[in-house]
Amino acid sequence: MNISLQRAGAIFVKDYKEFSRNYGLSISLLFPIILALLFRGAGPALGIGPSASGAFAFSLVLNTSFVLLTCLVQACLIAEEKERNTLRSLMMTPATTLEVLIGKGTLVFLMSSVALAFATLIMGYKPASIGAFVAAILLSIILYIVAGMICGLFSKTSLDASLSILPVAFTFTAAPWGTFLEEDYPILKVLDYAPSSQLVHLLAIGKIGFTTGDLLKPLLIILAWTVGLTMVSVVLYQRRLKDE
Amino acid sequence: MQFQPIYYDGELLLPKIELHMASCQAIGIVTDVKRKQLLMDQLVDHSNYYLFQAQQAEYMRLTVEELITFLNKITERNERVTSLMDYFALKEERKVKIKDLSPSKRMYVTLMRVFFAHQPTLVLEEPYFYLEEQDRRQLKRILEDLSKEKQILILTSNLEDAMISCDVIYRLNEFGFYPLDIRDSEEDKQEVLEQDQANITIQKISTKRNEKVILFNPPEIDYIESIEGSILVHVGGENYDCALTLTELEHRLLNFGFFRCHRSYIVNLQKVREIITWTKNSYSLRLNTDQDAVVPLSRSKLQELKALLNI
Repeated sequence: MNISLQRAGAIFVKDYKEFSRNYGLSISLLFPIILALLFRGAGPALGIGPSASGAFAFSLVLNTSFVLLTCLVQACLIAEEKERNTLRSLMMTPATTLEVLIGKGTLVFLMSSVALAFATLIMGYKPASIGAFVAAILLSIILYIVAGMICGLFSKTSLDASLSILPVAFTFTAAPWGTFLEEDYPILKVLDYAPSSQLVHLLAIGKIGFTTGDLLKPLLIILAWTVGLTMVSVVLYQRRLKDE
Repeated sequence: MQFQPIYYDGELLLPKIELHMASCQAIGIVTDVKRKQLLMDQLVDHSNYYLFQAQQAEYMRLTVEELITFLNKITERNERVTSLMDYFALKEERKVKIKDLSPSKRMYVTLMRVFFAHQPTLVLEEPYFYLEEQDRRQLKRILEDLSKEKQILILTSNLEDAMISCDVIYRLNEFGFYPLDIRDSEEDKQEVLEQDQANITIQKISTKRNEKVILFNPPEIDYIESIEGSILVHVGGENYDCALTLTELEHRLLNFGFFRCHRSYIVNLQKVREIITWTKNSYSLRLNTDQDAVVPLSRSKLQELKALLNI
């Protein structure tokens, strides 16, 4: 399949202009930074979780930002197009499924990366392995973009979209907290395989004494989630194309 | 273009329709909301039909120029945006955000999506409905240019809207699908019948509806039209069958201020409010009735009408 960069670029530029003038939505760029400022001093004081260091507080900031920024913005971008019937019109142009998704995804991807980079700086987190850390963050951003797309495709208006991210918030952001209840409810061990829990594990790996396997396992699980959800979203988008 | 018949509750809602779309001509179908939807439901093939629906909205936060740039890029037409803006007559609104435009202009800008469509057939639902006079003229011009390369089908519930830019108009209703005679014909070939001078002038026009004979005083009548040989007398938005021919009616009603404005129309001049000029060669008369009725006016009859009205 040929992907026209011009068309994907046109969607990117159009969405950037729309997003930057929609203050209700662009304010979500500030969420990671506000969260980071709030939790900056809380790391050691929090003293809970798998590692009683700043790592758990930092992963809390990250996992919340993924939903509040990446997922919400992506869902709203798609839902708003549906609300105004412009998505249907877009499907009648030569632009393909992939180009539309790439154009929209790239915008959210760039914004999330920049906002999260600032959050990381504010938190002052030092990862064990920069490469693994960056890879995990980027994969997670893609994962939440795709989750946002699915939410967007299921909602009819932007109001719907902001509500539809709640399930994502519950399952992904809340998953790391499930570990605290594991002893009472063994079934909650499943939650350990959520991408957000895996991110917590990855961040908790100390500066010394880790193996490549320690790093790879969370990365691979996050990758599997990303690939799986991406396939779901492409299938959903194409089904929507047929419905119209 | 083909439409499959649709039955609902044993009733034929949509007959089987075969349209022969010739290039250089726009086809209009005048029908109701339900049938319009049924027609559009059958036009799902995105590679052949560009479907513009009336509820199409626009990216509200972009400016007009940004939107045109976007449409130009996404469809890879790569034309110069400034010349496009000139062509669309949108130069003054260049920097205005779409949400700040007037409703008519906003719809007009939205309708420009049709211009960028790559499909061979363009289907527009109620394109003129929200537009003001000036925007209608611009759209008519653009659609005329588009029809040189593409087939255009306009779905509307308003005959007046269809007449603005359609060359062939069909009506689709519970009686079926049939063409309307709106073409600007040359002078009537029909020989004017020598009418016997009747001693008693019958003042009433007798019509039939549901097996009842209804008599109308001529001033009550808005206009009379001939559809496929049957004469319909329009009174207060309702229509009634009449057994007389148009020529007979014309003679009978001459003294009551009626005027044969078209081969298949007689209009009550007392009820004419406005002469609409679409182009140099196409005109309509708007009537001053409850329903917004519009009657075509032949070019050849315009001079005669002007003389009658002393204008």
